[in-house]
Amino acid sequence: MRIDSTARPWPFSAVLLTTALVFFAVAAAFFAAIGQSPLKVMTDLVLFAAGDGFSREETLLKAAPILLCALAAAIPGRLGLISVGAEGQLHLGAIFGTAMVLSMPGAPAMILLPATLMAAACGGAFWGAIPGWLRGRLAVNETITTLVMNYIGVLMVNALVFGPWRDPVNLGWPATARFPDAVDLPVLPGTRLHLGLMLGALLALACALAFSRGIRAERVRILAMNRKVGETFGLSFPRHAVVLMALGGAVAGLAGIGEAIAIQGRLQPGLSLGYGLTGFLVAWLCGHRFLPILLVSILIGGLLAAGDALQLYAKVPASSAVILQGLLFVTVLAVPGLLQRRTA
Amino acid sequence: MMDLATLFFVWGLASLTNATPLILVTLGETLGQRTGVINLGCEGAMLGGACAGFGAAMATGNPWIGMAAGAATGLLFAALHAALVLGARANQLAAGIAVWTLALGLTSYIGRAFVGGKVEALPSLAGTWLTDLPIIGKGLGQLSVATPIAVLLVLAAVWWLERTRTGLSWRVAGESALIATENGMSPTLSRLSAVLVGGCLAGLGGAVLSVDYTQTWANEITKGRGLVAVGLVIVARWNPRLVLPVCLLFGFAETAALRLPAMGVDLSSYVLSALPYAVVLVALVANQITFRPGAAMPADLKRVFQ
Repeated sequence: MRIDSTARPWPFSAVLLTTALVFFAVAAAFFAAIGQSPLKVMTDLVLFAAGDGFSREETLLKAAPILLCALAAAIPGRLGLISVGAEGQLHLGAIFGTAMVLSMPGAPAMILLPATLMAAACGGAFWGAIPGWLRGRLAVNETITTLVMNYIGVLMVNALVFGPWRDPVNLGWPATARFPDAVDLPVLPGTRLHLGLMLGALLALACALAFSRGIRAERVRILAMNRKVGETFGLSFPRHAVVLMALGGAVAGLAGIGEAIAIQGRLQPGLSLGYGLTGFLVAWLCGHRFLPILLVSILIGGLLAAGDALQLYAKVPASSAVILQGLLFVTVLAVPGLLQRRTA
Repeated sequence: MMDLATLFFVWGLASLTNATPLILVTLGETLGQRTGVINLGCEGAMLGGACAGFGAAMATGNPWIGMAAGAATGLLFAALHAALVLGARANQLAAGIAVWTLALGLTSYIGRAFVGGKVEALPSLAGTWLTDLPIIGKGLGQLSVATPIAVLLVLAAVWWLERTRTGLSWRVAGESALIATENGMSPTLSRLSAVLVGGCLAGLGGAVLSVDYTQTWANEITKGRGLVAVGLVIVARWNPRLVLPVCLLFGFAETAALRLPAMGVDLSSYVLSALPYAVVLVALVANQITFRPGAAMPADLKRVFQ
């Protein structure tokens, strides 16, 4: 089943525009179906996502974990791997980072913060390296292993905060002790925008550079295009799989500790609002290209932030944001293929 | 203190009950993959089936109507997956995740009305001729009728794939769409029908889970069972016969997670809940080491997996 190569493909911009129009039509139909005026909800969405300084900050705060999780999917995606494991890696990052905070709560910020971030990256990398190794050495499908490992990662956080890490001061509330101020992420003066977002943006730029030029980028590209050709040049697919999955995991791990520190100030259940899956969607939407990911993460962050606000003020249920993401994903998968088919 | 044989029997029955929804969804996924379509969206079909089945059973008071609604909803989600994969030629793994995401949102939206609702379970086998059997009869009486139905469906699928003409065309479609076409079969039709039947089974599995097994509705009630099923199909080597033992493995791990604390095992219930997932991972790896499943994999599936 391949697309007829003699068919003249639609120009990219036309495909993009049609997809966007179809998505808006589908979203409008959805809003109408749940008894909301499509025009009003959509203007509200834009207002709550970008209408004033507060909502713009809220949008960027939501964008941070999405951006990091999208990078976590896109980095192995460059090798052709389909990793949906950011959710689990995020939780492992939070566990390792929290372990560092709890082990030396009195340390000065200069030591504690970098050590915590390093530990979180290691935790995520560990959880990413396992499916990478299984794929590389044993040809176990990484999509399935990462999905199954997500559930284990979430349960491990629960086991810890309901168990040994529960702070007795919380009177039964499952959460660790409040993190010390020394671990607070630096913020841009006068805003709530923390290091996590800037780290995500820097990592996206760094990835865009690293995966576009140089010998390493070329190796990944060759292996992704044709593993056998790459291996005749002496490139090791298993090693690339482990390294890229671990790198992706490390980035997702940063998202985990970032959420724990900046949003909750402690480790507790409900750490992630499905950021792993959202990040996967963003990475796929952008074809694993890093600069578009930076932009789309902010757009989706706006959708989620505005969704929160709409839930509060317009009684639009929170699940609507997930439904919209699903509709977006379906549209993006359906429209380009159907367009090419019609011309074929 | 129970003797070992009794304990084994009791755990076996409990495992079978735990595994029943999973058997249905894994069987459905096996049929789809035999025709060359991998459907991670069966998690969404199962979730949709659990939600709609619970709602229908709650509204009508009849669990069988719940089963029918569950299967029909599973069919709808499978139709979406089929449209993406066969119609728009989208990547199969991504399409499945898109269907799953949509189902996550829709069921949590629609399911708000079902939280705290009450349903009647399917009848149990108590009072049937099975309970007259010596020794095991009493235990069998505790099973829900869903379990023998699932086992019968497995047998029916084996017969269908191996003994019928259409079953043959499904298997040919999975091995090579080209050969199927050359022999006057339509691989697209085979794939479409197998994915739709698989969606029905996944939806039915979801309805059994919410209406018969837990008898409650909760968000994400399936907890990845559909995703696990996609992995278990590989462990079962695409053979519907092996669906039963492989799903029992998961069911057994769930039984252990539920029963070990009462036997004095001092482990967090969250650690124990992770056990079934860990078992699936180990099974996947062990299967890959002992036996290169590439040999049993329907040839046309390889383009998805590699």
